Amino acid sequence: MLREFAIADTCFLIDWARFRRRDIIFKVFRTVFIPESVIREVVSENTISWISKWLAKRGLSLYTESADELEEARLLVVRTRRIPQIIPVDVPEALCLVVGRKYGYVVLTENRGAIMATEVIEELSNVKVWRSLELLVEAVKSGVLKVDCDNPEKVFREYMEDTLHIFPRNDYSKAVAEVVRICKKRR
Amino acid sequence: MQEEKIRKTIEKWVKLEKEAKELRRSMADWVFINSQPPRIREALKYYIETGDIRRSCTLAGKSIEEFRELLRKARIPVVV
Amino acid sequence: MFSKRLKKILSENEEAKRIRASLADWVFINSQPPRIREALKYYIETGDMYVASRIANLTVEEFNEYRIRARIPNVA
Repeated sequence: MLREFAIADTCFLIDWARFRRRDIIFKVFRTVFIPESVIREVVSENTISWISKWLAKRGLSLYTESADELEEARLLVVRTRRIPQIIPVDVPEALCLVVGRKYGYVVLTENRGAIMATEVIEELSNVKVWRSLELLVEAVKSGVLKVDCDNPEKVFREYMEDTLHIFPRNDYSKAVAEVVRICKKRR
Repeated sequence: MQEEKIRKTIEKWVKLEKEAKELRRSMADWVFINSQPPRIREALKYYIETGDIRRSCTLAGKSIEEFRELLRKARIPVVV
Repeated sequence: MFSKRLKKILSENEEAKRIRASLADWVFINSQPPRIREALKYYIETGDMYVASRIANLTVEEFNEYRIRARIPNVA
């Protein structure tokens, strides 16, 4: 099932753009928004050329944040710094959370502070935050990413190899178990 | 109730962060790290300790994407 | 009626893209740093100067200077 919209932050994009199957994201989401503050942070040729190609094809879309949204993001940044021991967020991630909450977009991030904020701050509890791990599982579930059922870890290993990104042990086991379950269902 | 929720969340993340730090430390290429100029070296070490890419890239005087590339060269994984 | 009009707009867009691509100075474009190069290519594809300027990390006016230097026409 093609989901409608997502909004991606820098941490997610700069890793995802290196993944050999990066274009599957456009079979999971109709459109992925990139805030202007995020596009400013991208520097590598690989990432910028992928972004501009998909902006032209409309799989990606530029999100121009309003002054209000930026202000709300700044307030969120301050708020996360007031809760002791919680990992604070910065403006680009905070902006994605603000927009995600406002419009119901899935927030794509690898920022631990952003994920933690949705678990701790009541107003953000309905915001759906996905790391690349959740996106890969969804891609397998919806059939856009073909999985080798004899090697259910393969799709995750490819991602980890391409990006030097490791998934936490428990979350990784759950993701692999989910892929195994999908394989069993399909047999 | 809310305090309890925050406490449990923090406990979970402290555990996750411990696992992540150990992975970053054990996989890092310390020969590469120690051969870097001071700013870069300290930023990489800071990242290994904290997993905080934004502060680390500021310390290094690099963009976030440049610093991410440095992490790859130093074989330091992002663990999220 | 609407689909006829939409067809016309799409066909005009394609024509504009073709004109931009054929008149552009590709030697100049390909000699630019990655962000500028990708932004000029994006502009040729879409005619969208605002987003192109964001890709280039330039103001619209600054990007427009590059568009002119790259001999890419603004096809209204």
